[in-house]
Amino acid sequence: MSGLSLRLPKSKKSRLPRLVTLLGLLFIILVVIYTFVYLQHDPNLTNLDDRLLGTSIQHPLGTDQLGRDVLTRLLLGAQQTIGFSLLALISALIIGVPFGLIAGYKRGVVDRLFMRIGDGFLAFPDTIVAIVLSGLLGPGIGNLVLAIILVKWVNYARLVRSTVLSESQKEYVLVARTNGLSSAKIIRKHLFPHIVGHVLVLASLDLGKIILLISAFSYIGLGVQPPTPEWGAMLNESRPYFQSRPELMIFPGLAIVVVVLLTNMAGDYLRDHFDVKKEVQQ
Amino acid sequence: MILSIEQVSISSSKKKIVDNVSLSVGEGEWFALVGQSGSGKSLLSQAIGQMLPANLKVEGKIYFKGLELLSLTKKQFQSIRGKKVAYIFQDYQGSFTPFRTIGQHFDEYHRTHGELDAKSRRLESIHALESVGLDENLYDKYPFQLSGGQLQRASIAIALMLSPDLLIADEITTALDSVSGHRILELLAKKQRETGCAILFITHDWRHVRRYASRLAVMREGEIVESGGKHRILDHPKHEYTKRLIEAAPILDQGLPSGLEEVEER
Repeated sequence: MSGLSLRLPKSKKSRLPRLVTLLGLLFIILVVIYTFVYLQHDPNLTNLDDRLLGTSIQHPLGTDQLGRDVLTRLLLGAQQTIGFSLLALISALIIGVPFGLIAGYKRGVVDRLFMRIGDGFLAFPDTIVAIVLSGLLGPGIGNLVLAIILVKWVNYARLVRSTVLSESQKEYVLVARTNGLSSAKIIRKHLFPHIVGHVLVLASLDLGKIILLISAFSYIGLGVQPPTPEWGAMLNESRPYFQSRPELMIFPGLAIVVVVLLTNMAGDYLRDHFDVKKEVQQ
Repeated sequence: MILSIEQVSISSSKKKIVDNVSLSVGEGEWFALVGQSGSGKSLLSQAIGQMLPANLKVEGKIYFKGLELLSLTKKQFQSIRGKKVAYIFQDYQGSFTPFRTIGQHFDEYHRTHGELDAKSRRLESIHALESVGLDENLYDKYPFQLSGGQLQRASIAIALMLSPDLLIADEITTALDSVSGHRILELLAKKQRETGCAILFITHDWRHVRRYASRLAVMREGEIVESGGKHRILDHPKHEYTKRLIEAAPILDQGLPSGLEEVEER
């Protein structure tokens, strides 16, 4: 029998992916800050004489169908895409985490009420909510962000609640109570640190999804409105030129892929980092 | 009487867990509450501090220094918990929040009860640590870096730090080995002599009762079957249950019989 079993080599995870993730995220953040502070080019400057140009010194990535510089639009698009994704994510966190903390700690009626509200929101798929909101309030990035928040906060509330439910049963919370601490203080000092890890992991994995969602909705015209540069919208605008100038679609597409990949890798890394069970095995 | 419990009943939606219990603890007294598991002694002790889960209902009256505890608001109660009534629990591992240092626990409880100066908080905390025989450098350690006995000492230090009038010790030696448990109780007795606080001591170990308690009550299925002075109950138990409970206690005065029948010499 022992001949059939194969001993797995002790996997020593290489540090390379971690390093790449870190450098990539750092690079993107720097680029976003750079464009925010220093970029002087006008992303909306049309010049029909120079439309659909190839790579040149003046236009490193060429120009699009209206003669606008693709690199400039790509850089500013990063601001839009990543900025609005972060806005949606952080708002969802700000709503979801306290909801979960209070529901998990108070239990009983409060818990049931909060979670039923959450279930109600969870019943709608994010795509439907976004389309309905756009239909009711008109397309625009504000409504898209609102739709994402409406759907995403429930995940955080549920995650936080489940952790707090089990933690608040433990003796140290009782001890803190017997020593006269208020509920708010117990939640803040003794329970909140427990959930930071879980929330961070979920958030970094979610960031990729939200970026995709915002790009996707901009692509079908429900997100960022032209002429504001956004990666999904850029993809959409260059669709008619796919056969003659495919790179117009490739650049924003690649940008989305890279950013989503990096956030997912960061999420994986954080998950490994906060995994208590793994620590015990070592 | 520093604490008197008058006709207190605790009931869940299904049944009565503690039924019409009355007892009183005098100043500076070591009062033992004895009973088997599930007899309701822990619940009774938690009712004193309003620590019961929301689904349990308390009836009756609990007076602490003439103050009716069950009628107090939450806010009023917070100033009593920890400052006037302190708890020590059985589970010393779980008594400390895992990611906070021992010192942070001391510091936080100090600040909650109104000590605003950070330096004096630290000094007093270290003094409290030293008074239970723990080294100063444990102040910056995390709970998992301490042994069980050390943690239980630290929780005694926290409980006694603000010199409460009543200390509720809920089976504090159950999770310790008997040598550490003995040391902890010696320490508790010493601290009691120093501070003069009353102790409500919940246990099912007769050795501790015999050695430390001054009065005791025996609980069974939510009722107090017998209460009185230690010598009266230990030497002349009246109730059948108390007699059986005392008989069941393992006593080592005939050595340690292995269970084999002795061979008779002819």
